[in-house]
Amino acid sequence: MIEVLVGQLVPLALLGALLGLDVVAFPQAMVSRPIVAATLVGGFLGAPDRGLLVGVALEFFALEAMPFGATRYPEWGSASVVGSALFTSVADGTTGAMLLAVLFALGTAGLGGASMHLLRRVNAALAKRQQVRIARGSGSAVVALQLAGLTADVLRGGLLTGGVLLVALPAYRSALAAMTISASFSRAMVVGTASAVGLAALWKLGRTTPGAPWYLGAGLLAGFALAGGLL
Amino acid sequence: MTAAPPTLPPHVHGAMFLRLFAIQGAWNYETMTGNGIAFALEPALRRLPGGRGGPAYCEAMARQSGYFNAHPYLAAVAVGALARAELDGVPPAQIERFKVAATGPLGSVGDRLIWAGWLPFCSALALLAFGLGASPILVVGLFLGAYNTVHLALRAWGLRAGWRHGLHVAQALGTPVLRRGPAHVTRATALLAGLALPSAAVGIIGPGRVVLGLVLGVVVAGAALITALQGRIAGWRLAIIVLALFTFLSLVR
Amino acid sequence: MTLELFRIDDRLVHGQVVIGWGLPHALGFLVVVDDAIAAAPWEQELYRMGTPEGMEVRFATVDEAAAALPGYQADARAGMLLTADVATMVRLVDSVPAVQQVTIGGLHHRTDRVPRLRFVFLSPSEETALRGLAARGVHVSAQDVPTSAPIPLEAVLAADGTE
Repeated sequence: MIEVLVGQLVPLALLGALLGLDVVAFPQAMVSRPIVAATLVGGFLGAPDRGLLVGVALEFFALEAMPFGATRYPEWGSASVVGSALFTSVADGTTGAMLLAVLFALGTAGLGGASMHLLRRVNAALAKRQQVRIARGSGSAVVALQLAGLTADVLRGGLLTGGVLLVALPAYRSALAAMTISASFSRAMVVGTASAVGLAALWKLGRTTPGAPWYLGAGLLAGFALAGGLL
Repeated sequence: MTAAPPTLPPHVHGAMFLRLFAIQGAWNYETMTGNGIAFALEPALRRLPGGRGGPAYCEAMARQSGYFNAHPYLAAVAVGALARAELDGVPPAQIERFKVAATGPLGSVGDRLIWAGWLPFCSALALLAFGLGASPILVVGLFLGAYNTVHLALRAWGLRAGWRHGLHVAQALGTPVLRRGPAHVTRATALLAGLALPSAAVGIIGPGRVVLGLVLGVVVAGAALITALQGRIAGWRLAIIVLALFTFLSLVR
Repeated sequence: MTLELFRIDDRLVHGQVVIGWGLPHALGFLVVVDDAIAAAPWEQELYRMGTPEGMEVRFATVDEAAAALPGYQADARAGMLLTADVATMVRLVDSVPAVQQVTIGGLHHRTDRVPRLRFVFLSPSEETALRGLAARGVHVSAQDVPTSAPIPLEAVLAADGTE
């Protein structure tokens, strides 16, 4: 399966480029959210259910980091491609598969955030080069700068996704071979950590809105009852 | 200014609307969304006396490409209002004051309504669907459909409201949806997310459900720890440390 | 809790303030100190639109804010005072020496400013004014959101915007 994935590195990098672009630059339709992006990548690799699983885990983490304009935040588009591609590259039930896939995805999200910071500096440098024309009111300079920024972001996402996958695929396989924990415990560890981050994020979002903490509490009680029923 | 707004030809309105989707395409720490604002306004500014490249066009483009920042969806309000002001010949000093005054509120309203409201709501909706056993296509469709209905409507409304009200657009921002909507959405998100979290967790753990009780204990303790550490380290970074440590222990055991 | 956050931010009321700081600190009120905005109802209306339900925003000139500061301090709710520029904050501190700590939350690109941090651009006169504040014992630092570490003034002034 991994050998097949190496052959799909270029299309996966392209997917990373498009999903990375969606995070901020174009069109911000949130196709880059993990629950969507990871599922799409899973579908592309023939395992949408497994893509969705890792997407749900990453979505909990993504609840925490809101993309306020000038702040630095993780980039989930490329990260979802990496996490989903790794997780779907091994058979269901593989020891530690989700744990490592999520770990690589989180690392990629951090790298993606740093690369967006760098891109913003590149955009500033590009703007400086066009400064005189823009100050004179050149419409073509404004359009050219916008297109250059979009192109740079596509390259950023593509190179990041491709580069990480190139390193992560063999590392993932080697690490999995040495893992000793069960698949269910690996998933439980991921779910526990991810849910803790998600719950803390929800608490932070709701605590200052009158009534919201009660709604959260009521929802959790109902959710536990529902989950008990599902068991 | 708000009584009878002049009409903008549909192709100009359409071109501005489409360009709004790339408004953050050249985002940088200096002018932030400034170039994107000029990019989205450009089709309207061609209608200034002298046309494209004329003195009025160039002056307006230079003015509009300076520093600006707002929530990307609600930047549509600013684009509509600035287009109206430029074509109405509002004095440049007043336009500059509007840009300064609008940047914060258009960011704040959008951040509360979308980033802290509608986006987590749609996430919770999709997580609940997953927890209830929905198919991948249904989960993805539900999320994208719900999220983008509001996303597209907000951009379209913003451009129209900005154009209709010009620099007096504050009255449009006073609509109950924007004023009280975020609080309602936050409460709905809290309820839905609370409902979704346990079932989504069960959905992932699957055959390992015997450890669910342990997981739930870890979740509550972990959430309390992350909340206590708020301001010092982000939860997702802390998660990397925890998961990496766990992986290391698993490898060396 | 009471008014303990004094922030210089040219965007005044925006997402980082009402959500980034507002949620973790449970801010109940904001005080925007700006002579021009205090005299411009249409601008006040715009800023009011940016605050959530349950968060009050007040507008004051420097003199009004200085006179009202004991009242803000006595408020049981947590609050934040905002100015859009360094000069206004310096005038306020001149009138109210009790201010101990000032945070630069965001001063953005302008032709007379040079980049120091990604969210702080300063002109020579602003740097002099900030040094003056620090020399008087006011703790000055830069911090956009609570999850990032505060950067002391000396480190800000030594930076070249490439951090």
